Amino acid sequence: MTSLEEKARYPSILAMKYHPFYKGKIQTALKCPVRSYDDFAIWYTPGVAEPCRAIRNNVDLVFEYTNRANTVAIVTDGSRILGLGDIGPEAGLPVMEGKALLFKYLGGIDAFPIALATKDAEKIIEVVKALEPSFGGINLEDIEKPKCFYILERLRQEMRIPVWHDDQQGTATVTVAAFINAVKFVGKRINDVVVTLIGAGAANIAIARLLIVYGVPPGNLRLVDSKGVLHAEREDVDKLQFQDRWKYEMAIKTNKDRVVGGIPEALKGADVCIAMSRPGPGVIKKEWVSAMADDSIVFACANPIPEIWPWEAKEAGAKIVATGRSDFPNQVNNSLGFPGIFRGALDVRAYTITDEMCLAAAVELARVAEEKGLSEEYILPTMEDWEAYPREATVVAMKAIETGVARINKSRDELYEEAYRKIKVAREQTKLLMEKGFIPPPPE
Amino acid sequence: MGSVQDIEIRDAKPEDINSVVELVIRLKRLNEEFDPLFKTRDDIAIHTKEYVESALGSESSVIVVAERKGKVVGVVKADIVDRIFYEPRIEGRIRELYVLPEFRRNGLGKRLIEAIIDRLKNRVDMITAEFPTLNEIAVRFYNKLGFRSIMSNYAIETKSRI
Repeated sequence: MTSLEEKARYPSILAMKYHPFYKGKIQTALKCPVRSYDDFAIWYTPGVAEPCRAIRNNVDLVFEYTNRANTVAIVTDGSRILGLGDIGPEAGLPVMEGKALLFKYLGGIDAFPIALATKDAEKIIEVVKALEPSFGGINLEDIEKPKCFYILERLRQEMRIPVWHDDQQGTATVTVAAFINAVKFVGKRINDVVVTLIGAGAANIAIARLLIVYGVPPGNLRLVDSKGVLHAEREDVDKLQFQDRWKYEMAIKTNKDRVVGGIPEALKGADVCIAMSRPGPGVIKKEWVSAMADDSIVFACANPIPEIWPWEAKEAGAKIVATGRSDFPNQVNNSLGFPGIFRGALDVRAYTITDEMCLAAAVELARVAEEKGLSEEYILPTMEDWEAYPREATVVAMKAIETGVARINKSRDELYEEAYRKIKVAREQTKLLMEKGFIPPPPE
Repeated sequence: MGSVQDIEIRDAKPEDINSVVELVIRLKRLNEEFDPLFKTRDDIAIHTKEYVESALGSESSVIVVAERKGKVVGVVKADIVDRIFYEPRIEGRIRELYVLPEFRRNGLGKRLIEAIIDRLKNRVDMITAEFPTLNEIAVRFYNKLGFRSIMSNYAIETKSRI
C-alpha cells in the first residue's frame, strides 16, 4: 500500500522538475523547406497572395493550401481541471499542453491549447465559433457539467468542423471498447447483460448513450448518482428535466426493473459495473461485487484510487476488472481514443464526429485487442499497440464517408496509409529531435 | 420507456385517490423548484389527500386521469368558478395537470386537457389554467395549446424587508 502510494507520487515529483526545465511541452515547427531567404517570397508575400485568392474563390481550398486540416484547438475554461476542480484557465494550461502532446505523438495532429478567461457558456460558444476558420476540429477539455453538455450540443449543431468533449465521447468510446471485449470474454450477450453505471456525470451519461447505440437495451442500464439509482419516478426527476436534461433522458428510459436504493441495490444481480464516480477505495464494497451475477465485470475508473482495488473485486468474484490506472492491467485510457478518432475525422475533413463514428472506433479498438488474444488481463490494446491508432482512424473516416459527414472521399487503403504515415512522422520527429539534442535529456 | 398506446383517459374514481394524491404532490414539488413562494409544506400529503377527496365528492370539480395497465400516470383537475363581475361568466379553471416524466412528449397532456374540456363544455363558458408564473414548462405548454394570459397574480412577502 505504502509502496503503491510512493509509486503513484513519483510522477508528480518528476513533473515539478521537468516542467520548469522544458518550459512547455509543445512548439511550432516548420513543415516546408527554407532553402534560402528567397523562399520567403513563396511562403510569404508576394507569392502567398495566390493561394489566398484561390481560397477566396473556393473556401474549401483552405484545407489544401494550409495546415488547417491537421489542427485542433484544445479549449478550456479551467472550470474542472482533472480532479482539481475550478482552478482557473492559467492553471489548466499544463493539462492542455499535455493533451496537445498526446494529439501530436499518438495522432500526428497539431493541437493548440486555448484557455479562456470566461466561464459563461454563451461567451465560450461565441468564442469557439469564431475560431472555426483556423481549425480542423475543436476539443473541449475539462469544462464542468452540465455546462459541458450544453456547450457541446450547441457547438456540434452550429459548427461545420468536429467538436469533441473527451470526458464524454472519448471516455465513452474507450470504455465501450473494453465493454465489448469483456462481455465477449465472459461469453455473455450484449442484449442480455444488466449494466450498472456508478456516477451519472459527463462520462457515464455518454457511456450509457453509446452502449444504447451499440445495442444494450436502455432498460438494462442502471445509473446511480449521489441520490441513488435513477428511475423514471424518482422524486427529483421533474427537477432534472430542466436542470440536467441529459440525466433526465437517462432517468426516464433506463432501469426497467425500477430498482431503488443505492450502489448495493443497483449492483445486485448486475453483469457489468462501470464506475466513474469518486476516488476509493471503499466506494464499492467487496460484498456488493459478490452479489453481482456470475462472471461479473467491474470497471472502477476513478483516479488516482479506483472505487475498489482490483484484487478486492477479483476476490469478490469479478472475472474481469479494469481501472483508469496504467500500473494495473486493463487500463481504460482515453489516449487510446481521441488521437485515432481525430486523425480519421481530419483526414476526410469531417463536419462532425457522430456517435456512429465513435462506435466504429470502439469496435475496431476492441478488435485490435481481440486479434492479439483476449485474456482476463488484456481486454484493451495499450498505447504501445500503436497500430490501433491508424486502424481507428481508418474506420472512423470510412464511417464518416458512409454517413455523409466527410468533405472528401478516400479509399480504405489510402486512409490507413495516410494515417499510419502521419502518426509515424510525429513519432520519428520527436525521436530525431531527442537524438540531435534539440530536445535535451531531462535534468538529473 | 412508457408507451402511450395502451393509455386510457377516464374520470377519476374513489379508488384512484392515493395515485392522484401522489401525482398532485409531485406537481407541487415541481412548482417549488421554480419559485420559493411555492415551497411545499412538510405535511403536504395530509392536505393533498383532503383536497383530492373533497374534489372527488364535489359537483363543482372534475378530475380526469390517464391510466396505463392499472396505473395512474397522469391527472388533470378543474374547478367550476362563477365570475360574478364578468362575461363570459362560468369558468372551468384547470388547477392541476401532471404527467409522469416517462409518459411525456407523447401528447398525453394535451389529451388530458381535451378530455376535461370535453367534460366541462356544456357547463362552462371558458377554460382557464392556473399555474406559477415561473413554471416555464406550463407557460410553454399552454401557449402551445392557444391559451393566453388574462390575469396576473403578484406577490410580496410581508416578513421580508422591503
